[in-house]
Amino acid sequence: MADDASELVVETQHLTKIYQNRQIALNDVTLTIEPGSVLGLLGPNGAGKTTFLRLVLGLHRPTAGWAKVFGRVMSPNAADVRRRVGYIPTNPQFPKGMTPISYLDYIARLFGLPADVRKPKLATLIRAVDLLPHSGDPIVHFTPGMTARLAVAASLINEPDLLIWDEPTHGLDIEARRSMLELIKTLAAEKTLILSSHNLTDVDEVCNHAAVLNKGQLIFSGTLQDLKGRIKKNHYELDLDGEQKAITKAVAALRGLADFKQVLLRQRRLEVKLGDDTPNSALLAQLFQVLNDNKVSLITVRSVGMQTEQAYLDLVEREENRGFARLYKDVEAA
Amino acid sequence: MDQPAVVTVRFNKFLPYWAVLQTDLRQTLRSWVYRLWVFMTVVAAAGFLLYRVGVHKEAGIFHSAAGQCGDLFRIMVVGSLAVVVVLAVSAVGAERGTVADSVLSRGISRHQYFLAKWHARLAVVVATFAALATAVLVASYLLFKSDAESDLSLGGGLAAVVAVSAVLAAIVSWGVTVGALANGTVLGITVFWLVLYGAGFLLSLLPEPYPSPDRELARLKFVLMGHYNGGLLTNLVLGSVVLSGLAAAVGVLGFGKRDV
Repeated sequence: MADDASELVVETQHLTKIYQNRQIALNDVTLTIEPGSVLGLLGPNGAGKTTFLRLVLGLHRPTAGWAKVFGRVMSPNAADVRRRVGYIPTNPQFPKGMTPISYLDYIARLFGLPADVRKPKLATLIRAVDLLPHSGDPIVHFTPGMTARLAVAASLINEPDLLIWDEPTHGLDIEARRSMLELIKTLAAEKTLILSSHNLTDVDEVCNHAAVLNKGQLIFSGTLQDLKGRIKKNHYELDLDGEQKAITKAVAALRGLADFKQVLLRQRRLEVKLGDDTPNSALLAQLFQVLNDNKVSLITVRSVGMQTEQAYLDLVEREENRGFARLYKDVEAA
Repeated sequence: MDQPAVVTVRFNKFLPYWAVLQTDLRQTLRSWVYRLWVFMTVVAAAGFLLYRVGVHKEAGIFHSAAGQCGDLFRIMVVGSLAVVVVLAVSAVGAERGTVADSVLSRGISRHQYFLAKWHARLAVVVATFAALATAVLVASYLLFKSDAESDLSLGGGLAAVVAVSAVLAAIVSWGVTVGALANGTVLGITVFWLVLYGAGFLLSLLPEPYPSPDRELARLKFVLMGHYNGGLLTNLVLGSVVLSGLAAAVGVLGFGKRDV
């Protein structure tokens, strides 16, 4: 972790990147990331997520503003700060003709790790990411899942305090994606993470903070709960069990209740939309009571639409509709 | 309660430089461009030597060894130039945006990365050319040392190798710098080819007191005979060192400010 618990891990101020006076990739982004955060960096394609990460790493130089990591302004030559950072690019590329052992040894040497530290470390990591049977095979023949696991090992070899992973689940199959998410959850206990992702389900599962970029501008920065709190939780789906006659009767009873705006039954799946005037917990209690009175069992209940996804879409849509008002309003942060 | 022992890792700040240098050396030696260059040069040199041995042994005709080696050197230099440019410009340029991401995002500074790449390509090109040229000269000397008319001098041969290597070193240095500063490898190679061959062509149009690559290469046979000016050779080497150092300074400063 950071030397000082109060030290900000990442701090950007008016961070702006304009490529060759032709493309505004990032526009006046001011953001702070505290130790222990797992930040999901969200945004559509071309929103500036990768540019932001590259500026934070010092791979790009800002056109205006600055990015500090562990209190130091990042620049292309800030090698000592990057020793505390583990990075996975979107599509990791590997030098030709290398095996996992030679590649991890190379990466460890790039961090300046002496042989007595790096050799045991790389062996442990190869074992941990389950590449032991392939440790001598050329990387060029690896599947995307194996490549992703190797990239994870490379990003952890220097025992970084900050992990910056650009779309780590991109191109992975279900099993590899699940492993990656579990690893992120484990790492989140002791490290600060920035995850750029298109997959809002992943962000929902592993992140506690979110930052949303749209067309190079930061339109939200705060906790994931704050982001979710922006949408109304009033749309539910329930899978029911019991006699069809009893279910129909229960549905009829629900339709008679005032605050149930919409009650739809498709076979044994019930979809309800609740009104905004009464707390949804009270209305759900009523619903369960009606089901119980009619001897209808409940198999599953879920909120319709992924909350984070809905909140994200709402944010982007609202930002699109703001027009020239963007000029005057600040970022909506918690 | 006892505090856990804090293990402090001492980073070796030169290790990143060595890592990039060693990896680049290994990868350059394995690259098809490098292997093609060596193969073509060896084939051309072997053909020349066999031709000389053939006409001397079978027909009894003697060609000046220095003249033949001079011609061979000229072919080697002109033929190698295109490949040397590709090797030099691609050193940094070919990795930008891909592999460089995985390297420069670690604990290495731009300065170290550029210097390691520059030194690796410089070592490969100069050492390879020097080795091939020396092998040609030694083979030629040994094959014809008993011949009374052999005009090849060992000192002259060494001077010729040093002179050509010095010129190649300056070309490689500027090539690596162009690759680091250009927006694309193909663009960098094209621009550098145009500059080199264009400058060579323009210089060849100038009258005698001005240096021209054609004329200097034609003079190599006299150097190989041992007729060379030590002062000029020293100036050439010093000029190459200055030009290479200037290229490196421009490259280090420029690449340190570039996006990758």
